Order: sequence, then C-alpha cells, then structure tokens
Amino acid sequence: MSKMENHVLTVDGLSIAFGGLKAVDDLSFDIRDKEIYGLIGPNGAGKTTVFNCITQFYKPDKGDLRFKGHGDQIVDLTTKPVHDIIRQGLVRTFQNVELIRELSIIDNVLIGGHIDFEANTLSQALKLPKARKEEKKYREEAEKILEDLGILDRKDMLVGGQPYGILKKVEFARTLMARPKLIILDEPAAGLNDSETIDLARLIKRIRDQYDCSILLVEHDMRLVMDVCDRICAINFGKLLAIGTPKEIQANKAVQAAYLGVE
Amino acid sequence: MKAKKNIFQKHPAIGFILFGLLLALIPTLAEMGILKNGYVTTIGGTLIYAIAALGLNILLGWSGLISLGTAGFMGLAAYMSAYLTVDLNLPFEVSFFLAVLIPTLIGILVGLVSLKIEGLYLAIATLAVAEVLRKTFEELGKYTGGFSGKSADYPTLFGLFELDRTTTFYFIIFVLVIIMILTSNMMNGRLGRALNAMRGSEAAAQAMGVNLLTHRLIAFALATIFASVAGVLYVHFVKFSYPSTWSLAMSLNFLAIIIIGGLRSIYGTVLGAFIVYAVPDMFLKQIPFFEDLSYVLNGVLIILVIIFYPNGLISIGYDIRKLFRKLTKGGAKNE
Repeated sequence: MSKMENHVLTVDGLSIAFGGLKAVDDLSFDIRDKEIYGLIGPNGAGKTTVFNCITQFYKPDKGDLRFKGHGDQIVDLTTKPVHDIIRQGLVRTFQNVELIRELSIIDNVLIGGHIDFEANTLSQALKLPKARKEEKKYREEAEKILEDLGILDRKDMLVGGQPYGILKKVEFARTLMARPKLIILDEPAAGLNDSETIDLARLIKRIRDQYDCSILLVEHDMRLVMDVCDRICAINFGKLLAIGTPKEIQANKAVQAAYLGVE
Repeated sequence: MKAKKNIFQKHPAIGFILFGLLLALIPTLAEMGILKNGYVTTIGGTLIYAIAALGLNILLGWSGLISLGTAGFMGLAAYMSAYLTVDLNLPFEVSFFLAVLIPTLIGILVGLVSLKIEGLYLAIATLAVAEVLRKTFEELGKYTGGFSGKSADYPTLFGLFELDRTTTFYFIIFVLVIIMILTSNMMNGRLGRALNAMRGSEAAAQAMGVNLLTHRLIAFALATIFASVAGVLYVHFVKFSYPSTWSLAMSLNFLAIIIIGGLRSIYGTVLGAFIVYAVPDMFLKQIPFFEDLSYVLNGVLIILVIIFYPNGLISIGYDIRKLFRKLTKGGAKNE
C-alpha cells in the first residue's frame, strides 16, 4: 500500500444500489494529506450517498475504502461499525447542523471528545480524581478550540437560539475536538449568506493549516468550492464525471453539461 | 468574560447534602407538633417516588427513551425484598442487593428490545412487561400473598440496627441524597452528554462515537436500578405491598412527576414528586368542602403547571430570581 503514502483516503470502485437504482456506481477517487477536496454534482447525483458510505452510515455493496488513520495506520473503513469511524480520525458534520439545543455550547463541543475519555462510568459517578482531571483537561481543550474560532465568550450559552453562523462554528469545534485526520463537511454553506460564506471559506483554510488535517467538502455552492478546494471530483448519477483542479473542472464539458444541460 | 460560579454550581453535592439535612428536620418538627405526624409517612413516600422518578428522568429526560414499566419494576423489587427478608430471613443488605439486581437484569433485556422499537411502541412494550409483572404478583400467591398483599418490616441494618419509622425516614433521605449526587455527577459528565446526544440525534451521536447499544442499555439499567431501590425502600417503609399498587396509574404518575417537575432536572424531579404525591395529601385535603376532590384539584394544578411552566415547575425559580433582580435594580435606580 505504498500508494497510500500521501493519501489520507482512497475510495476504490465504490458502488451501492437501493433496489434497482444504482446510487453510486464504481466511483474511485483519493484525497491527499492536507488537501481540501471537493465533491460536487447536481441534485440527486449521489453526493450524500458517497458521504454516508464513507462514514459507514450505509454499508457499500462493493468497493474499497482505505483510510490512513492515527499513527499512519491504514484501515479498511468498511470493517468498522459507524460509531468507531470517529476513532480512526474521520469526523463528519451534518447538513442541517445536528447539535443539542438544551446543552451549552461548550458541552456540545465536549461531545466531540466522547471517545477520548478513559475514566469509566462508575468513576465519573463518584467523581474520582481521575475522572475529574480528565473532564478538566478536555474542558480546557474545548475552550481553546472555541477561542480559536472566536466564540469563547458564548461558551456557557445554550445552543438553542444561537444564530446559524454560530451553530456552524460550534459543529466545527465539535469535530476538531476529536483531533481529526479528515473532516467531511456536508454542505457547510447551506443556509449561510454571502458574507458568512466568505468567512466560512477562510475558516476552512485556516483549520486545515492550523489543525493539520484534510477536508472533504460535499457542496452545492460553486463559489465556495471553486474558492477553497485544491482538487474537485464531479459526479452525476453516481458516476464519475471528472477529477481536477477548480479551473479544469470549470472548463470540463461533461461537468458543464451535467449542470447546465446540453444544447 | 468569565461567569462567576457560586459554591453550589461548583459542587452540586453540597447542595444535595444540605437539602437532605433540611428534609431530616421533618421528623423533629413533627415531634414538636409543628407538622402533623402523618406527614412523615407522606413525605417519606414522596421521596421514595422521587427516587424512581429520577430513574425515569434519566431514561426519558436525558436519553429520550420512554418507559411505562417503572411501577412494575418497583413492585418486583418490593416483593423480592419482602420475601427475601421475611420468608428467607436474609439480611437486609443482601436482599437489597438481590432485589435491585434481578429487576435490573430484566430492565437491561428491555433495553435490548429498545434498539428495535421506539416511541409509542416502546411505551407499549414496557407497559406489557409491567402488566405481566403485576399479574405475576397476583398469581404467585405463595411468594407474594396474592391479592391480600405481602408485608415486610422496617429494615435492620448490618443485623444490628433495627430501624423504626423515623430512622427509616432518615435512611430514605440518605439513599435519595446519594442517588441525587450520583445522578448529577453522571449527567453532567461524559455519560450525560452522550445520552443527550442520543436524544438529540442518533446519527450525530453515532458520528461522535457514541455506541447506541451500550448507552441505551446503561439508560435502562440506571432507570431500573433507581426504580428497584425505590421499591425496596417502599416495602420496608410502608411495610406492605399490594398488586394493585403497581399499576399503570403509578407509572403514569412517574411520568407526570418528571414532566411537572422538569425534564433533566434533579431538584425538579423531587419537586414534581411533591406536587403529585404530597400536595393532595398535605394541602388539598385540608381545603374545606374539597376533601374528596383533592385528586381532581391536583389534576387541575398539573394542567396549570404544564400550561404556564412547560419546562417544568423548577423553572419558577429562575422567574423569581429574575423578578427579584428587576425589583432590586428598580430600587437602585430610584435612589
């Protein structure tokens, strides 16, 4: 697997069908270390299905998903249950922001650290020193991330009632809490206005540099994708259209046809 | 901007212990004639219900899983402890342990089922378990005394201390305070966050590494442990157990307790238990002409609470504080 040396994720021959419909058909692409990679396609192209296959919410019918996790260990994602994916260093966000409204912002971020806690339930129930120390350590880590994202002053506020832009940042902070190797963002620009989208583009680049991770962007908003992505994979009807730099994708006839229709 | 935390927010355990000490004054007040003697029994029972309701709050409030079987599990523990101490002459501690362990194992089985069914279907499934248990209490007369019920004594601790009504009352407070502290520690830490995540969105919880199976089992195990502890305390405080006690009505009362008191609120649960169990006995029955209607009045009260305090009556505290702040602020302006 020397091929994986500078790849964080390799998708090879991925296929999944729902009934007779091939949602994803023999799709292959790879994401390099520290790359911001875009996955685009018109509505119904199968972007979200690809995403759900990678994160094991769906089990693909065929195909290899190899991921270079913590300690540069290559793992086959298809062998992992869905709740173990984050442990490998692969964290996702949700299109509609899945946070817990009744919890404070910092508690929401701490959920991202769920897998890192070592003290068992009993020692937490009794608040043994080990559990207390651990809680404090991760709380400080969460505060640092919130400070980085510029929302530390809101940490004790409830998530319910916060503006959408803040919620996106909280969800970002939650993924960072897991010290990811690869973050998959599901349509992060959905519901944001123009200036918020520009902020988001800046934030995505900054996070890649600062937290030393790769980012896979599943996105609709062309401007965001063209602006931040190093490479882009365009798909339609579950099949690969083209892979290339933003410029190459923009010039690609097949992509243009898929988006604008053929004359 | 760092919000200052007072000592109770930093160490919630201190608040719970103080709360327990306050409750412990009740028998003394009753002896002094300030409170009616019967109140000790009423409040003791209420606190026992609060323990079981706390378990249901973990299940429904924190984890978003429903159960209508609380009374069944509580009853099972009550009958078991009565049988083990009276008929088999086992020490109280041993019977306490067994009477909590066995229902909990059954509760964990229900937790396994909960992976497949949700919402109303889960409610029906847990209700069925409770009804099967209640029928068993009626039919297994050899162990349960059937319809005529089963009696038990006040507990004897470590084979040395024979408790009476007052000391059993203290024992109940002791157990309640411990359970409040444990619940607070668990729910404000990693477990509580994971259960919250599971309630909010299962997909998001899984993406964050929360194993749904283990956490559902933990939620059901905790709820059953609390219900069983309450059952054991009940039978050794009330000293009697009838099959008709452990009915659907009781499970629904637990539901009412946590909704009235406040989902995910520990003090709220105790407050809710007072509203549902103690208020009709202690206050509403004292209103002339309404003695017989006390439970009807209670129903009206519950409806009012839900309309005006949908987040639970515990949020009344915040309102009072806000009002107080407004008043003091207004006063400062006038100066």
